[in-house]
Amino acid sequence: MTKNFFEVNNVDFNVGNKTKVKNVSFAIEKQGDVICLLGPSGIGKTTILRTIAGLEKLKKGSIILNGKTLSSEKINLEPEDRNVSLAFQDNSLFPHYTIEKNISLGSERNKEKKEKKISLKEIVDLLDIFHILNKYPHEVSAGEAQRASLARSLIMQPDLLLLDEPLSNVDQSFKEEIQVRLKKILNKLKITTIIVTHDSYEAFYLGSKCGIILNQELKQFDDPYKVYHLPNSIEVVNFLNRGILVPAKVTGKNTLENWDLGTIEGNFIKEYPKGANVQLLLQPEDLEHDDTSNLKLEVVDRKFRGTNFIYTLRAPSNTLIPVFVHSHHIHQHEVDEKFGIKRPIHIDHIVCF
Amino acid sequence: MRINFWYISSFVISLFVIIPILTVFSSFFDNTSNYFQVLKNTFLMEYILNSLILLVSVLILTFIIGTGSAYLVSFFNFPFSNFFKWALILSFAVPPYIYAYSLTAFFENYGTAYTILKNLFGEGNYNQSIPKFDGLLGVVLSISFSLYAYVYILARASFLYQSQNIIDLGKNLGFTKFKAFYSIILPAARPAIVAGLSLVAMETLAEFGAVDFFSINTLTTGIYNSWIAFDDLAFANQLSFFLLLFIFALFILENLSRKNAKYHFNTKAGFKQKQKIQLSGKKAFLAFSFCFLVFFLSFLFPLSQMMYWTLKFPENLFDLKILDLLMNTLYLVILSSLLLIIFGLVSNYGNRVNKNKTLNILSTLSISGYAIPGVILAVAFITFIAWFDDSVIKNLGFVSIKKVFIGSILGLVLVYFIRFYSLAYNGIKSGYEKINISVDESSYLLGYSKRKTFMNIHIPFLRNSLLFVGILVSLEIIRELPITLILRPFNFETFATTAYISASEDLLEAAAVPSLFLILIATFFIIVTSKYILRDNND
Repeated sequence: MTKNFFEVNNVDFNVGNKTKVKNVSFAIEKQGDVICLLGPSGIGKTTILRTIAGLEKLKKGSIILNGKTLSSEKINLEPEDRNVSLAFQDNSLFPHYTIEKNISLGSERNKEKKEKKISLKEIVDLLDIFHILNKYPHEVSAGEAQRASLARSLIMQPDLLLLDEPLSNVDQSFKEEIQVRLKKILNKLKITTIIVTHDSYEAFYLGSKCGIILNQELKQFDDPYKVYHLPNSIEVVNFLNRGILVPAKVTGKNTLENWDLGTIEGNFIKEYPKGANVQLLLQPEDLEHDDTSNLKLEVVDRKFRGTNFIYTLRAPSNTLIPVFVHSHHIHQHEVDEKFGIKRPIHIDHIVCF
Repeated sequence: MRINFWYISSFVISLFVIIPILTVFSSFFDNTSNYFQVLKNTFLMEYILNSLILLVSVLILTFIIGTGSAYLVSFFNFPFSNFFKWALILSFAVPPYIYAYSLTAFFENYGTAYTILKNLFGEGNYNQSIPKFDGLLGVVLSISFSLYAYVYILARASFLYQSQNIIDLGKNLGFTKFKAFYSIILPAARPAIVAGLSLVAMETLAEFGAVDFFSINTLTTGIYNSWIAFDDLAFANQLSFFLLLFIFALFILENLSRKNAKYHFNTKAGFKQKQKIQLSGKKAFLAFSFCFLVFFLSFLFPLSQMMYWTLKFPENLFDLKILDLLMNTLYLVILSSLLLIIFGLVSNYGNRVNKNKTLNILSTLSISGYAIPGVILAVAFITFIAWFDDSVIKNLGFVSIKKVFIGSILGLVLVYFIRFYSLAYNGIKSGYEKINISVDESSYLLGYSKRKTFMNIHIPFLRNSLLFVGILVSLEIIRELPITLILRPFNFETFATTAYISASEDLLEAAAVPSLFLILIATFFIIVTSKYILRDNND
């Protein structure tokens, strides 16, 4: 059995006596891997990070880092003895110190490291916070404070870095750039990281694995591609808001039949017996526009999303079906017009429930 | 729950402060002398009624003066508004009993007012036309003009933190200035004003010097008389018990009143600095006059009266050993402030890191020492030491410890500690409330232990709060009277006790010199720390 760098085994995450997330297990195989936890607000994502950091006590299960038990029913290592850093979502900078002093406090911890991998200057440049170094936390914007807090956590070069919505206050225009830089530095420093976010695109970009937390459970823990294309439950589909479920009947090894769309071909993720009634996940990318097709549906809405349009089409059964079309596509349709769908319909991965 | 150093420290400190309070409570069930029956049939109702009238009158007056002046200096610019901003806190330098001496000195027959009229208009029978501010009215004025600054400071701090946004919102809704004040500004500042008024209420109920000087019978003097005149400690304690219940009710009321509401902005986002409104003409004159009148009556008047008498009777200046009095006062102040700050800090931190119910209840009880009149606290302390000495120390065969604690600096400082512990504890707590708990957590995650977090993160952050608390406690100790009178070592006098003794011997002129020095030292302390008291900078 391979030894994982970090493990959460059957843990109930609590705040006081209230259980927020039950019986969670996941692992980070290698040092330097980054994983993301996704879920709606208030579901307990922060509680998970706080428990791993040692700020909340654990009543069931165990948390192991690099072979050392951090928390279990019997063991509870104090936060200061874990070398785990948590960058809080809200500003938790020391208000009476300048930003520079705040960040340098983080570097005190990695003094013992033989090889100093990152300097204050590097981290400051990377997060573009040079201009606020001499300011006090109350003198900077929420986004700047968040970046400073991130810098303090990064410079610690902890064994495990926990980031709670690290970029939630950063301006949208700057966010993507910071995401790129963050990914680069995490890779460079090989800091094992758990990021909590409600932004699925951020999670898919930063994490090599993503966990979806819903209804007090870790529903899926997989690589981003699988989470996105192959959700393992209806709850995950609904959370990611990635399409609709339509009724279908399995007609063959690679085919099924829908009353509105007719025959659909593709590769089933799971085997179903012929004749089985299933709920088929239909994602916007699954259907192709083709005005020469004899399968025509009525346009009820069109959303412009920059690089693409999302059409909402009304099927004869009154089901509303989303379809993705590139915005440079030659022919666009208005509401109430008929929209042709290419036949035969082929879906690479057929996901059914 | 893990027992750690911080838990034990907080526990022991709180327990120590609670002991005299428990003594008062346990004495409730002791037998009393006939004095209770005598009192019940004669003056008890008068005591209660006087206390209530005094309390209500002082609360109304301090509310009007404190909130009114705070509103004017916080929202408007008018001549000298920046001066009044800090000048209005100077009234703290004049304790109610010294204010009472000044009132009497000025308005009494052939007093200062008479002299002024005589010098202006020649000999005449002015005594009849000069109003007499003595009795209950004198006490109300003395206490109100001395203590309104509690309401002023807290209301002003709250006004200061109100965002321009909510004021703009009022304008947007078409409110007049009065309506905006009444329906937006005042309710938002309610917790601060109520907190200020509860401090005033506690001080009023505990007031001894001024009440005693004007010979008004209140519960406090009742307590004092039952102990001094009738030697009935149990009954004194029983009266204190009722007084305590009353004060606890105030505490609870104040806590309940603010429990469910949020009165301030948590984040900087959306907070817009207030623009003061420039007043001119009649309005500016009225605002100036109101503030000047308050400043004059509360500070300049007693100060000038005491200066006048000191200059008129300079021999008193040379009769006193000023340097000795100064050294004694400072000795007590420094020793007590240091103890209070250190233990207040440790206890606060203990509570913060342990989040334990027992500790929480103990701390809440421990801060009620401030509500107990000094006389009672001193007596309760003596009672406890006597009991402890008789039933524990002597039984164990040790030498009596009475002399170590009673009539000694140690005993005096310990009782100051109990009396002013809540000031130190709450002052430091309000500093602590500004430190988000995630700051502590960040510190632990940076590898700092609890001790290192306390030393390296909290203490530097609380520096200003600690200085402020130190000065606040010092001011109280400089002005403190009954505890010092009862527990001071033989031949050990402070400015306060010297002033009181002279006044009680009907030598008001002689009381002027120590009173003047007391006012001047207290004024110095206030000026030095006005920056912290007023908290203009968001520190």
